[in-house]
Amino acid sequence: MDEEPERTKRWEGGYERTWEVLKEDESGSLKATVEDILFKDKRKRVFENYGQVRLGMMRHLFVVIDTSRTMEDQDLKPNRLTSTLKLMEYFVDEYFDQNPISQIGIIITKNKRAEKLTDLAGNPQKHISALKKAVDTTCAGEPSLYNSLNLAMHTLKHMPGHTSREVLVIFSSLTTCDPSNIYDLIKTLKGLKIRVSVIGLSAEVRVCTILTRETGGTYHVILDETHFRELLTFHVKPPPASSSSECSLIRMGFPQHAIASVSDQDSKPSFSMSHLDNSSGPGLTLGGYYCPQCRAKYTELPVECKVCGLTLVSAPHLARSFHHLFPMDAFQEMPLEEFEGERFCEACQGELKDKSVFICSVCSSAFCVECDLFIHDTLHCCPSCIHSQSTS
Amino acid sequence: MASEDEVSLLVVVVDVNPIWWGQQAQREPEFTLSKCLDSVMVMGNSHLVMNRTNKLAIIASHCQESHFLYPSKHWKAGDAAGDDAVSSSRDGKYEVLAVTNDQISEEVRNLMARTEVKGHQTDTLLAGSLAKALCSGQEMKSRILVIKAAEDCALQYMNFMNVIFAAQKNSIVIDACVLATDSGLLQQACDITGGLYLKIPQKSALAQYLLWVFLPDANQRSQLVLPPPVHVDYRAACFCHRNLIEIGYVCSVCLSIFCNFSPICTTCETAFKIPLPQMVKPKKKKLKPAT
Repeated sequence: MDEEPERTKRWEGGYERTWEVLKEDESGSLKATVEDILFKDKRKRVFENYGQVRLGMMRHLFVVIDTSRTMEDQDLKPNRLTSTLKLMEYFVDEYFDQNPISQIGIIITKNKRAEKLTDLAGNPQKHISALKKAVDTTCAGEPSLYNSLNLAMHTLKHMPGHTSREVLVIFSSLTTCDPSNIYDLIKTLKGLKIRVSVIGLSAEVRVCTILTRETGGTYHVILDETHFRELLTFHVKPPPASSSSECSLIRMGFPQHAIASVSDQDSKPSFSMSHLDNSSGPGLTLGGYYCPQCRAKYTELPVECKVCGLTLVSAPHLARSFHHLFPMDAFQEMPLEEFEGERFCEACQGELKDKSVFICSVCSSAFCVECDLFIHDTLHCCPSCIHSQSTS
Repeated sequence: MASEDEVSLLVVVVDVNPIWWGQQAQREPEFTLSKCLDSVMVMGNSHLVMNRTNKLAIIASHCQESHFLYPSKHWKAGDAAGDDAVSSSRDGKYEVLAVTNDQISEEVRNLMARTEVKGHQTDTLLAGSLAKALCSGQEMKSRILVIKAAEDCALQYMNFMNVIFAAQKNSIVIDACVLATDSGLLQQACDITGGLYLKIPQKSALAQYLLWVFLPDANQRSQLVLPPPVHVDYRAACFCHRNLIEIGYVCSVCLSIFCNFSPICTTCETAFKIPLPQMVKPKKKKLKPAT
C-alpha cells in the first residue's frame, strides 16, 4: 500500500482490501476489532491546530445549494435534497454557535438559474425556517455554477475588507450550464479575495478543482452521510485569514437589556425594528434591546441597526469566539497499563476503563475518552488547569 | 412529571472558601459553614427522595482545588462491605440518605483539615468546579446549583464564559443561590442557560429558599411563581480602563474592546487602517464641440 507510485487521487488507488481491517483473535470473536474501530471513531477529530495564525473571525459566508435533477437521487436517504437540507440546519446552528458575529446567506440553483433563498443575515431563525420550507421545492434542470457565484459575488464585493468572504458550494450534479466563460469569473473572484470551497456529492469535477485551487478553498467529495456531516463541521471553524485582509477597528454597540413587566408603571409597549420584515401581527413588546446610538428597539442580538447602521452585540457573543484565539493542545494518549496513579478520571470521577488515558501536558491529569472529547469539542479548557488561577 | 426511567442529576457546587467562612463565623455566629452544609444536605436528601431515579453530586469549591464531597471515590471501595451501612441508619432514616449525609460530613471535614491556605490564593475556584460538574453530568439530564459565598474573581472570566457556553450547548441549567454580594458572572450564567438567580435576603433561612426555589426541576418551574429575573448588565468592559461602555471599538483580529479609537491594538499589536474621508473629485464637464 505504501510503495505504489504516483497516487495523486484517492479514487485512483481503488479499494484497499477492506476485509483485512477486521481481524479475529484466538477465540474467533471480532469484539476487540469492533471496539477498536469504535474507539478510533470517537477520536477521529482532525486536530487542525493552525498555531499562531490570524483567523477570520467575522465571516460572510454564502452557501450555494444545488437543487438540480440529480438531487432526487436516493443514495442519501430519503433523497439527497432532504438529507442536505437537514444537514444544513445543523450547519447553520453550529456556525452561529462558533461564530456569533458572522453572517450567512443561502442561494439555490436549478434550471440554469440561481436565486437567493435568504439574504446575508446574522439571525439563525430566518435561515432555518427558509430551509424547512425549501424541502418542498422541485428539483429540475441543471445547475449553473457561474450564475450562483455571480450572485454571491455581487453581494460579497461590497462587504468591508476586514471580514472574510467565503462561498461554500454543495454541488451534486456533474454538469453546469454557464452563460459565459467561468475562468474569467474565477479570476475576478480571486481578485476580490473571495474563497470558494466545494463539497461534491457525486464525483470530482475538474472545474470545481480549479475553482477551489485558485481561490484558496477546499474541495471534498462525500463518501456517505456521516462523512458529509464531518465535512460541514470542518467548515464551521474560522479559516486562517488571508494575508491581504485588512484589520480595522469596528465600531460596535453594546445595548442594555430592558426587562419590563406589565405591572411596571413606567414601561410602555413599543414596536421592535426586527418585526418590520414579518407581516405577522403588530409586534408590540415591552422589553428589548435599545440601540445606544438611535434608541431603536430590537428583540434579539446580534443585529445590525436598520436605522443608524451600528452593529449591536453583547459581550458574551465576543467571548464565545475567544477559544478560537487560544486553542487548546491535544492531550497525550497513553495506554492504561503504563499509567501510574489513581485509576480515576479527574473530570467526571469515573473509573478509567478504556484502553488508553489522556494526559494533559500542562498539569498531567488523566482523563477518560468521553471527557477528552467533551473538553476539546465543547469546553475548550482543561478542568484541572483552570484550577491554577494564573490564567485569565 | 418526568417519566419513571429518566435519570436526573443535580450537582450542587458549594463555595467553601475558608477565608470568607472564617470571617462569617465572626460576623454572624449563628450561620456558619456547618449550618450551610446542613441545609445543603436537606436539599440533597429531598432531591433523592423526589424520584427513585434521581442522582446527586456535591462539589466543594475551595481556593486550591475542587473536591467531590459526594459521591466520593474512597467510599466506592468500601461499599462492598455492607456492615457499615446498617449501623449508620440509627434513627430509622432511609439508608441511602444516611450514607449520603455521613459521606458528605466526613469528606468536608477531611478537606478543610488537610488544605492550608497560602497567602495569595484567596479566590474560590468556581470555574474549575463548574467544569468538573459539567464533565460528570454528560450522559444524563442534569442541572447545576451554585451556592456562592465569596466575591467574584475577575481572573476567571474567560474560563467561566467557556463553561457557560458549554453548559448552554448541552442544555444544562445553572441556578445560583448567592449568600452575600451579587455576582455578575453568575447572573450572566443564569441568564444564558435559563436558570434562576437569587440573592438570599436572610442567610439563616437558606434551607427554606433551597427547598422552595431550587428544588423543583425545569419542567415544574413553569407552574410556580418564582422570584423574577434580575436585570443583567451585558455591557462590555473596555480593555484600557475597565469601564463599562455602550459603544466601543472592536479589533477585528483579536476581538479586544476599546473605548477610544487608537491606531494600534494593544493586545495583538496590529496596525489599523484608518478610514480617511473620501476625496470628492470635481467632475470634469464635457465641453461641447463648437458646431
